[in-house]
Amino acid sequence: MTPSDAGGTTPAGESLDDVDLGLLDGIRELFQAADPMPADLPERLRFFLALRGLEIEVARLAAEERQPSLAARGAEVSRTITFDSDSLTIMIRIDPNLDGTARVDGWLAPPQRREIDMKTTADSLTVTSDEQGRFAFARVPRGTAQLVVRSEDSGPGGAGRSVVTPALIL
Amino acid sequence: MIGVDDRTPARVRAGQPDRGKRIAGLMDAARQGSEDALGQIVTELTPLLWQVARAAGLSSGDTEDVLQTVWMRLLDHLDGIHAPAALTGWLVITTRREAWRVSAAARRQLPADTEFLSLLPDQGPGSEEQVIIDDQRRALWQAIGQLSPRCQELLRIVAFVPRPDYAVVAADLGMPTGSVGPTRGRCLAKLRALLASDDLEGSSR
Repeated sequence: MTPSDAGGTTPAGESLDDVDLGLLDGIRELFQAADPMPADLPERLRFFLALRGLEIEVARLAAEERQPSLAARGAEVSRTITFDSDSLTIMIRIDPNLDGTARVDGWLAPPQRREIDMKTTADSLTVTSDEQGRFAFARVPRGTAQLVVRSEDSGPGGAGRSVVTPALIL
Repeated sequence: MIGVDDRTPARVRAGQPDRGKRIAGLMDAARQGSEDALGQIVTELTPLLWQVARAAGLSSGDTEDVLQTVWMRLLDHLDGIHAPAALTGWLVITTRREAWRVSAAARRQLPADTEFLSLLPDQGPGSEEQVIIDDQRRALWQAIGQLSPRCQELLRIVAFVPRPDYAVVAADLGMPTGSVGPTRGRCLAKLRALLASDDLEGSSR
């Protein structure tokens, strides 16, 4: 490597030749094969970082059930998942859409109107639950997703924390 | 197979001239709160940091915890880091320090010679050309296993560092700036000597 390759900041003593560089390439390939990083790790770290600064409550997975889907043929199943946090229970049902996306219907208990984000690997989707606590995302791309029930903006002394679920694979 | 994630080697190997500019732009955007820019930096540099933590002997679970900690900590330091090479260096050093702290009570050794070899995936039977490549790969793997733990760790880390950042990162790893080349060169020189010798079992030369 010549100093110009590194913007002229390479300290003296930089003396790798092509054989060295080839060896380093070989070493990288070997370790990539012997000890590969889990492919989804960067994505999970991105999800984790996106939660920073939020005053959050992390919901726990309380129950998950699968039953044959009425909407689609074949091996597709619909899943019902319940998450519990100190202030809120979130129940969702995930049904496959025919176009390969998923439909997510959800309920908040106790029932309340809240803004809810579905963070996905693509865009983040946002809906608002109705007074009965019901909400729905009609088409969510397959892959990793995570629900964030945003904090209530007002309310004297009200619980002001967002509730997030663990990452889900849709 | 070699090259599980074949985007990374290409990107690292090419040492694209605009990589520095691109990363610097992402750093600026991340400083201003861009989630996406930060995410792209995470995607770009996490494969390197994985190797740094694993080279310190951490389990995969511990490695993931350490990387969460490191990236969170970066958010508090991003304002003070401007050059892309400095970013790589900061991440490598912080990951390494955190990994050694976590593994302090646990096993500190790198895999022994034989263990090292067993990590290498079996390539299975292949064409004659493949057999030659496999032999070379096996010889390299075996030679790495004979280096000192310090050299093994150093070469493993440096091999994943984007090329324009080599010098800065090697200096950050605790070597006086003036001896960056020679010091790293010593590990590489030993490796080259081992590969040139006939001592390696299985090297068909």
